[in-house]
Amino acid sequence: MILLRSGLKSFLIYLWSGWGAIASLMLFLAVWEWAGLYYGELILPNPRITFQTLAGLIAEGSAWQELTITARRALIGFGAALAVGSTLGLVAGLSMTALMMSRPIVTVLIGTPPIAWLVLALLWFGNGDGTPIFTVFVACMPIVFVGAMLGARTLDGQLGDVATAYRLPPLMRFTDIVLPHVVSYLFPAWITALGISWKVVVMAELLASSDGVGAALAVSRSHLDTAATLAWITAVVGLLLAVEYLLLEPIKREIERWRVAV
Amino acid sequence: MLKFIHSGPFAALFECGFRPFFLLTAATAVIAVAAWVGFLTLGMPLPLTPNGPVVWHAHEMLTGFAMASVAGFVLTAIPEFTSTRMIERHHVFILLILWITGRVAFAIPIVPAGTIVAMIADLGLLGMLAAIIAPRLWRDANRRHLSFLWILLAVIVATGGFYFDTLTGTYPMRWLLVITGLMMALIVIAMSRISMRIVNTALSQVGETGTAYLARPPRRNLAIFCILLYTLAEFVALQHPVSGWIALAAAAALFNLTNDWHIGRALLQRWAFMLYLVYWFMALGYAVIGAAILMETAWVSAGRHLLLVGALGLAVFAVMNIAGRIHAGIEPDKRLWVPIAATLIAGAAVLRAMMNFDQIEASLAIVAASACWITAFSLHLIFHWRILIRPRTDGQPGCEGIASDA
Repeated sequence: MILLRSGLKSFLIYLWSGWGAIASLMLFLAVWEWAGLYYGELILPNPRITFQTLAGLIAEGSAWQELTITARRALIGFGAALAVGSTLGLVAGLSMTALMMSRPIVTVLIGTPPIAWLVLALLWFGNGDGTPIFTVFVACMPIVFVGAMLGARTLDGQLGDVATAYRLPPLMRFTDIVLPHVVSYLFPAWITALGISWKVVVMAELLASSDGVGAALAVSRSHLDTAATLAWITAVVGLLLAVEYLLLEPIKREIERWRVAV
Repeated sequence: MLKFIHSGPFAALFECGFRPFFLLTAATAVIAVAAWVGFLTLGMPLPLTPNGPVVWHAHEMLTGFAMASVAGFVLTAIPEFTSTRMIERHHVFILLILWITGRVAFAIPIVPAGTIVAMIADLGLLGMLAAIIAPRLWRDANRRHLSFLWILLAVIVATGGFYFDTLTGTYPMRWLLVITGLMMALIVIAMSRISMRIVNTALSQVGETGTAYLARPPRRNLAIFCILLYTLAEFVALQHPVSGWIALAAAAALFNLTNDWHIGRALLQRWAFMLYLVYWFMALGYAVIGAAILMETAWVSAGRHLLLVGALGLAVFAVMNIAGRIHAGIEPDKRLWVPIAATLIAGAAVLRAMMNFDQIEASLAIVAASACWITAFSLHLIFHWRILIRPRTDGQPGCEGIASDA
């Protein structure tokens, strides 16, 4: 109960510290509003019109429908990248041979622009879910891989010696020594990958799908509906910020608490 | 005249800048609001100033009430912050005469003679204040407190603008809104200095030795930047959506500032909590203004009164109670009337704001809010007028803090 209360307290303190970020975002909206004055409603609708359009999309139900489709694709691709990238990265970090083998391949993967993967995916998977999911996977996987690899490689060998000296059981050795260190590298990589997954999935949908937020963006572009375009962008960015700052960042802080203690 | 200042029956009044000016601050709070509510509810006459009663009310609450408190604060705090000698008695006396002349002249219904005299007196007061503090702030190591001077110079420009518009027949309210913004920035700057002492004292009183309060500059600078940007935006285009978003940014930046204050139960100590509430009122004021502009409602006035009655009223009350006693050689008051008066000021702000939200009948709200405000500052006058006009009894000289602090 005490733990829960202190967790809730630190979460509330964390939430309250977000006011500085909100202040910056409000200033950004002021600049947007100001720019909208000069470019007019057709080129750059102001934030109020954009939010009203978004509220309309939410009210008529289309926003959630498209966002669910996009979220599903992004999360499947991201989940696959997470599983494969973390596992392979850990293996590569623990084994020098695996590192030597995998590093050039990862460099190639990172160096290939997502749009190139998208063209290939279109040829391989067509217009279905496969194209955006694959593109997300291939764009995110190398980043997670590098994070996991770095985490495993930088593990302090002396801690392992201490664990051996104290005859720590393998499970405890993994959860108390390996995991906290690796996760502190892995988690930021996951967060970066999550951001990339959202951006890439929208791009993939825009070019290759008939549904999802990206497709909705393509439709609004063809109708020259800038307000709807900005509303969709706001929805995607808003959702990403919410997931990152309300879910992932608090978890990251909780996981990295040991660093402060050290 | 010199004899009157140095050894007359009220000689102690001129010993230190805060003495006459804090007395006048509280008296103006009572008289100006009583006159205003008398005009609104009973139709009692107000001075026939150019541009009508609303400008009179706003001008006298800012140039009368707020500026008296600023003069009292600046004349006492700047010598302390810069470790320089106290202000000469005859300077205090001249400033006092200028302030009184400004109030009387502004009430004289002779245009433009009354306005011109009021302009000379008000600008003279501000100019003399700036001339007194400028060399002290400039010579201070690292020039840490120069922001007080910049704000004061900006107030001089805004006051000059107000009188220029008045004399040229333009509606001058925009300049009073500038002064409102400058007052908010000044409160943030002043509170960052005062709060370090007050909050850390509160921490030690509750036995919290592990926690220390620090008024962090980045958060404060963001808040001041947003407040001043809003003030500028409002001046350029009144109630434009761009300024609406900036007002919301200012609100968020002020809520962000409260992060420094979340230090546990020490925050509930009366002085710490009172200063903390100042930021809340300021943040809520800007939030209401921002929302009102963006939603095109009539709540802007509610927001302004949350700023001026809530934030400014509470800040002035707290400073008069803390600095006004410590520099007279007396510990801050521990009696019950202090939290009662502070609650009344907070209540006045909320009631006045509710009037614009249509939550309460307008005349009832205005009477109730005014009654709360007048009672609070009357209580202050009752408990402080003797302290302010009598010589200090703790043996310390002039404006020094109490013996244990000094």
